[in-house]
Amino acid sequence: MSDERIRNVLKALAAAILLFPAAGLLAQEQGHLSVKTVVQKEQVELDEAGNEKTVLVDAGKVVPGEHVVYTITFQNIGDEPAQNVVITNPVDANLTYIEGSAFGPGMDIQFSVDGGKTFASLDALTVTEDGTQRPAEAKDITQIRWVMHEDLAAGAQGIARFAAVLK
Amino acid sequence: MGTTIASAGTGARYWLTLSIGVMALSASMTAAAAGTPVGTVIQNTATVNFDLGGAPVMLQSNVTTITVVERVDVAVTLQSPQTVVAPNDTNRALLFTVTNLGNGSETFTLAIDSVLTGDDFDPQPSATSIYFDTDGSGDLNVGDQPYAAGTNDPVLAADASVDVFIVNDIPGTVTNGDLGDSRLIATSATGSGAPGTVYAGQGDGGVDAVIGTSGGEQQADGEYLVSDVAISVNLAQNVSDPFGGATPVPGATVTYTITIEVTSSGTATTSVVRDPIPAYTTFVPGSITVNSAALSDVADGDAGEYDTTGAPMIVVRLGNLTQADGVQTVSYQVTID
Repeated sequence: MSDERIRNVLKALAAAILLFPAAGLLAQEQGHLSVKTVVQKEQVELDEAGNEKTVLVDAGKVVPGEHVVYTITFQNIGDEPAQNVVITNPVDANLTYIEGSAFGPGMDIQFSVDGGKTFASLDALTVTEDGTQRPAEAKDITQIRWVMHEDLAAGAQGIARFAAVLK
Repeated sequence: MGTTIASAGTGARYWLTLSIGVMALSASMTAAAAGTPVGTVIQNTATVNFDLGGAPVMLQSNVTTITVVERVDVAVTLQSPQTVVAPNDTNRALLFTVTNLGNGSETFTLAIDSVLTGDDFDPQPSATSIYFDTDGSGDLNVGDQPYAAGTNDPVLAADASVDVFIVNDIPGTVTNGDLGDSRLIATSATGSGAPGTVYAGQGDGGVDAVIGTSGGEQQADGEYLVSDVAISVNLAQNVSDPFGGATPVPGATVTYTITIEVTSSGTATTSVVRDPIPAYTTFVPGSITVNSAALSDVADGDAGEYDTTGAPMIVVRLGNLTQADGVQTVSYQVTID
């Protein structure tokens, strides 16, 4: 075999070898989502012009009364669309959901006050307290969920976020 | 019997109220609850459910963790009303409540400051100037424990409180109507300063302590009012039973005689005598007299009446009294039920 032909064969083999691991990865995660959560808190900083701006910083330590913001990012890292995508997140007993803070473009946002058994919009929920029924409030929320309107196409990303106060 | 004489110092709107103990204002703490206990760990995992080619899949995100550290916060609340004193009085106490508003256990140091501006005189801290209200009476008594900084600094759990007296002497150079202010300061031993300041590792269990909105130090001011008008009050009762004797039996008539006299210089302005009708007795209509002159029972233009708007009582207004007015006599009668 001539040198040139050998080089070409080697190139072709190299290309094939490079392709195979990628194909193998794609095959394992085909249509899967990656999902990541971060928890942050708001901090007021001064920008270059000396103006106050609010930034989100990692929240490891918090004190009662502080606000924390949970952000869930997800991506379809497969090559098939994911259908009926629903993100669900509990609200810890030591946290109180901040009304109006739930955010998720392209998604319906619903709440549960019964530990995740049923979900609805906040104004459709009621709780029973001391034997009487009353409309549910932010403090009653035990779970939040975000329901995508559309399929999550291959390669597409989404974001869901909410804020809560540490009791 | 709970008789009260209320009058004012010269030319002022102040009240001198005798025979009443310190009125403890109800310390209605707002629901500033301590909050989630220090050291609580809050974990969170998001769940994703979706369908892939018709088959359901569930995934979970990573776990996030936040740890609750200690917030340092304190409140100091004045309990005593404006406290009436005389020149040269000693050991006059003002009552405060110190409350731990943080979410962890905290030690507080206490201090008194009587050199304040904006008042007429500086109260003089007494030899022992800070006490705990150990017996919970609201008054400074033998059973109350003296405070010594560094020896018995109060240790308060989250939401707990302690009642504290600051104690002052009144100088002899003050005059009627003078106001003197005195302040109690409580400071967290962990630290104080700008809200948000972090004392790393200084909180309960070795977590961080963060100064809350109170700055970790708070204070409140109490006030003394000098009134040097001395009023002498005496009460006498005379029983006349239906059988010509003096036995207090049902049907007997009791005549109450109250004598009031200003025994110092100065004027007791707008003096009012109020005497509640004792239980198990009935007021004898038309029996109120002041200095032997009869007063009508109803509230009209004269100096007194039988007042039933609240608990029944005799009310007689004596106006401005000086030593020169001599003894004022108020009397009325009841029958024993």
